[in-house]
Amino acid sequence: MLIIAIDTGGTFTDLTAYDAATGQVAYTKSLTTYDNLANGVFDCAQKAGLELGKGDVFKHGTTLVVNSLIQRDGARAALIATKGFRDILEMARGNRPDPFDLYYRRHPALIGRDMRFELVERTSGRGEALAEPQFSEVASLAAELSRLGVEAVAVSFLNSYLSPRHEEMVAAWLKDLLPGVFVTRSTELSREWYEFERTATVAANAYVGPQMSGYVHHLDQRLADGGFRGKFFMMGSNGGVLGVKQALAAPIALVESGPVGGSIGAAAYAQALGIDNAIAFDMGGTTAKCALVQAGRFDVKSVYYVGGYARGFPIRGAVIDIVEVGAGGGSIAWLDEQKRLYVGPRSAGSTPGPVSYGRGGTEPTVTDANLVLGRMDPEGFLGGGMSLDLLGARRAIQEGLALPLGYTGPDGAQRMADGMIAIASVAMAGAIKRITVEKGLDPRDYCLFAFGGGGPLHAFQIARELYIPLVIVPPEPGNFSALGMLLANMKVDQSTTFVRALDQAALEEAAKLLEGMREKMTATLRADVPHGALSFEYFAEIRYRGQVHSVRTPLDAAASPQDIRRSFERIYRARYGHADSKNPVEIVSLSVSGYGTMDRPALEDLAPNRSASGSPTVRTRQVYFAEAGETVATSVFKREELPTGFSAQGPALIEEYGSTTVIGPRDRFEIGRLGEIRISLDIKN
Amino acid sequence: MPITAAADRPDTRPVDPITLEIIRQLLQAIPDEVETDLTRTAFSPLIYEYKDYAVGMVDAEGRLITQSRGGIPIFLANVLGLAVLDGIALYGRNGIKPGDVIITNHAGTLGQHLNNVVMYAPVTDPKNRSRIIAFMAILAHWTDVGGRYVGSSASNDTTELFQEGIQFRSVKLRNAGEPVPEIYRMIQYNTRFPEMVLGDVEAQLAGCLKGAALFEDIAAKFGAGVVLDAISTMWAQSEAVARQAVRSIPDGEYKAASFLDDDGIDLDRRIECPVTVRVEGERFVVDFSEISEQVRGPFNSGRYGGGITAARIAFKYLTTPGELTNEGSFAPLEVILPDGKFLSASDTAPMARYSTPISTVVDTIIRAMATAVPDRVAGGHHASMGSHRFQGISPHTGRLFSHLDTAHGGWGGSQGRDGSGPFKTLAHGDTLDVPVEVQEALYPLQVDYFGFRADSCGAGKFRGGVGLDKAYTIQHAVKLTLTFERHGCPPWGLLGGADGMPGYVEIQRKGDEPKKYLKATDIPLGAGDRVFIHTGGGGGYGDPLERDPELVAADVRKGFVTHAAALEDYGVVLDAGFNIDVAKTNARRGAAK
Repeated sequence: MLIIAIDTGGTFTDLTAYDAATGQVAYTKSLTTYDNLANGVFDCAQKAGLELGKGDVFKHGTTLVVNSLIQRDGARAALIATKGFRDILEMARGNRPDPFDLYYRRHPALIGRDMRFELVERTSGRGEALAEPQFSEVASLAAELSRLGVEAVAVSFLNSYLSPRHEEMVAAWLKDLLPGVFVTRSTELSREWYEFERTATVAANAYVGPQMSGYVHHLDQRLADGGFRGKFFMMGSNGGVLGVKQALAAPIALVESGPVGGSIGAAAYAQALGIDNAIAFDMGGTTAKCALVQAGRFDVKSVYYVGGYARGFPIRGAVIDIVEVGAGGGSIAWLDEQKRLYVGPRSAGSTPGPVSYGRGGTEPTVTDANLVLGRMDPEGFLGGGMSLDLLGARRAIQEGLALPLGYTGPDGAQRMADGMIAIASVAMAGAIKRITVEKGLDPRDYCLFAFGGGGPLHAFQIARELYIPLVIVPPEPGNFSALGMLLANMKVDQSTTFVRALDQAALEEAAKLLEGMREKMTATLRADVPHGALSFEYFAEIRYRGQVHSVRTPLDAAASPQDIRRSFERIYRARYGHADSKNPVEIVSLSVSGYGTMDRPALEDLAPNRSASGSPTVRTRQVYFAEAGETVATSVFKREELPTGFSAQGPALIEEYGSTTVIGPRDRFEIGRLGEIRISLDIKN
Repeated sequence: MPITAAADRPDTRPVDPITLEIIRQLLQAIPDEVETDLTRTAFSPLIYEYKDYAVGMVDAEGRLITQSRGGIPIFLANVLGLAVLDGIALYGRNGIKPGDVIITNHAGTLGQHLNNVVMYAPVTDPKNRSRIIAFMAILAHWTDVGGRYVGSSASNDTTELFQEGIQFRSVKLRNAGEPVPEIYRMIQYNTRFPEMVLGDVEAQLAGCLKGAALFEDIAAKFGAGVVLDAISTMWAQSEAVARQAVRSIPDGEYKAASFLDDDGIDLDRRIECPVTVRVEGERFVVDFSEISEQVRGPFNSGRYGGGITAARIAFKYLTTPGELTNEGSFAPLEVILPDGKFLSASDTAPMARYSTPISTVVDTIIRAMATAVPDRVAGGHHASMGSHRFQGISPHTGRLFSHLDTAHGGWGGSQGRDGSGPFKTLAHGDTLDVPVEVQEALYPLQVDYFGFRADSCGAGKFRGGVGLDKAYTIQHAVKLTLTFERHGCPPWGLLGGADGMPGYVEIQRKGDEPKKYLKATDIPLGAGDRVFIHTGGGGGYGDPLERDPELVAADVRKGFVTHAAALEDYGVVLDAGFNIDVAKTNARRGAAK
């Protein structure tokens, strides 16, 4: 059994491969090749010396979809809408999230007005057909689309969420009439109401469809040429992989495939370590992201904004619920004219990068601050592959920030650097509060899983801010996204609008609907996971009658309306501090998540310290800690030398390729049985 | 009651800049978090979609600490602080205790329609629980507070405030932590939608209590004194930003005029709105001395809800759009507004539609500044609330429903940019419209079409944004109330740009010709009757003859501009395939100059 996972990210393409026969794990990295993304993928495979012919499973995550949507280099696409409604895509919802900007505008619609067409057909607001689509009209429309050289067509009809029949008819005709053109319809992606959101989703699917097909076929061909005979999966935004056939029909389901891997990895480790409540915290160069992991599962949300809420457009579909803030290693600290201090959201990125990279960056970043505080080794960056300019970083912080703000004296730059990190930590802690406190959950009940290049550097401080008692740094924090992908199961999600008062009759009807959904999903899962165990979870979105927002409530086949109402009210009260036992309650939609269990490596085989034996070497460095108010002598370890069971009191640094873990002066760490670093915080509440 | 503008507190001690920034972030997170909860737990679409609320904190003197970003701009006049000051004046400083929660919708204080109810709870010093250091306050639009019409403010012809609902002037909803049942009963029996209003009261109350607790956490962590010092410093910083922005505007006196169609009762009398702006160094003076007196119909507002609000919104658009709002934000702004004008009406004047004129007043102030700062202004926008409210008994549920939708239309062109939109007015913000699928599922309405309205955009080198057309076929008996504005004074062009087309409504009863409407209350409609909504386009900016012919051709190809308008307004000659006839275009443009 050889499993290969490759994650194409913004800067690097990462590979993780696991050979069950030898227990060997390979990690390789190469630069992402924007002209042909597949080259980066095969560079990685070559570097790892993989024999593709022995490969059983190939899992792939890519930023192709989201990049294409943001850079606007997708297909020449057309939209076919119900007569009278072609402008829905461009009118959006009439809102302006930036209230005082006289020039506020949204990113332009993906499909311009001259490529949006209308067709006579109509379904009423209660699901009855009022006008049937006519083949002759579709045929002449198809001729026009063909003349315009259209590569993809999106079909989105009003009220189709109630009855998708018209969309199905028209899409089928178009597929016959326009061979080679990518045809997609809104109801194959979402069965929920809100016509703008559904239309924006199918427009985006059409926009990226042809490019994705081209890419997948190209990759598939090259894999076959390399002798690969196994199964090919793509990483979905919902936190599981999906088969190639599904990915080709609904490429939009891959929109957020990048950050998902880390959350899957965190979930797998949390489960293996018997931790029910975890927060996956991933800090990279430009942003920090966090997601909640409970009992090995993560929340999905049903609307995701491509390009952000303020100016972007929505995508309907299950996307893992990740909260992101503009705080990363490259985040720039700056002062405005009133000398107000900010950290981020602007980032120095990888070019020019932080001042200390010596590539022309002049504005101090979070990485520069870490260096000035002694948390990073100027000679040890990327395993010693790159040396960092400590003096330059100190000078930039001193001159750009510390002196203008009055932090003078010999330790001014260090106090300033510590302040930069404190401000970034507040922002990151704020993101974690949004996925916990705002849902009525107490972060003290959670364990913080820190990864990404910056996660292990900052986790102890963020944990302290939130009174989280335990931080875990998993193996390969710098490669954790690809590692997580290696561990991913197959997952499919489906939801449907179902507005009913919560009563026995509604539950019986819901049970039938859910059973139908489960049957379809079983077929989808079995096609790609022939042997692994399948499991299903059922949810209802429930609200008090009159509200618009609903609460995702688990459904249990045996539960009575009263049981379901009680669990709804329990979640509602935890989240908002109050609940009403008298107000009528209604269901808004139903959803099913289906999982197909896939083979994966034993986590013991992934431990970074498998060859550690004897006593590790310890160096000492002066590191500034705010708790001490000065620099203190700090032990520095190499991670691969620390055997399981090793423990020590902070302050300490644990270095490895791609990341450094910081343990504060009052905290203690231990190496766990999977090679994970466990930092126990001395929390005084 | 005056609100102090100067943010300086002479006794403020300096705060370490890093601590200051951390406190700023933590404080701003409070209204943002409370706002999220409020929109998720509210029962009224006016809160969760329309965002007709304001969430903020004021200090013990009623001075604004910070306000949430998602609510609509119309609450910039620190109505939260005014409400608190009224409570302090009535109860006395010792009469408000920890655990109290007070509500008010007093028109004489807030100057707005009675649906707008401010609720607030004291924040105490964790080291001394009897000391109140601030208040957490939420204003929310209650769906109905009684009065003559369903929805209380869905009126065009009320002539006294008393026809528009009940007033709760600074009364306690909770007394030392205990609910006051008498007030709950007063609320419950003075609204047509008790279930919805009491649900919203719970959401508002939970937000006040949560916000106060979050504030107390910050005070416990840093000390109340440090937090208050940080707040004073934040005010001083915002004030400095605002003053600097005003200094960048050339000194001078700038004027513009506009008018509203009527007050809903005297249909042939316009509401005049001439404004003068005087800029002198760091002072930005808005002078409303010449505007119309208080009107008979419900288009009045009080001084704060009216004139001060409009001046503040305009000031923000023109000078400091990205700054968070606090007590220092408007220090350079002075408003001259005699009593008894329609923007400074008496305490009992009808105010149901108080917000309707605001977007026009704001737009007029921006218009006045066109020659002074041509790069910070835009042509007029549709500026019409364009509310169309259907109400009746749902044939499916048998329950009373009230469905409010408002217009979104084109915004004005500006230096280097075509007008944007379709958006609601510039007194709205993150206000979402109601999806057609939701309307058709819940109400006896069918929408026949909804899309862009060709040629509604004012011509210009940078044209205005495009307005919309929407048609309904009524499925079952309903009543319709309309409030459309800016028909006589369409969205203006600037610096040579042409006006946009105004918005209006047509109603076609079965078998009849369509009839035009702007304002009307409770029009009975039956199955098969049709309603056509037309919303205004934005004004153009600069001479249309200077518009790039390629852009004109693209607009024609997309159907935003017709062939005829391309020829007449822009002097661009196109063939049927949207190709530009360069020679004819040059000749026509040359002759027109």
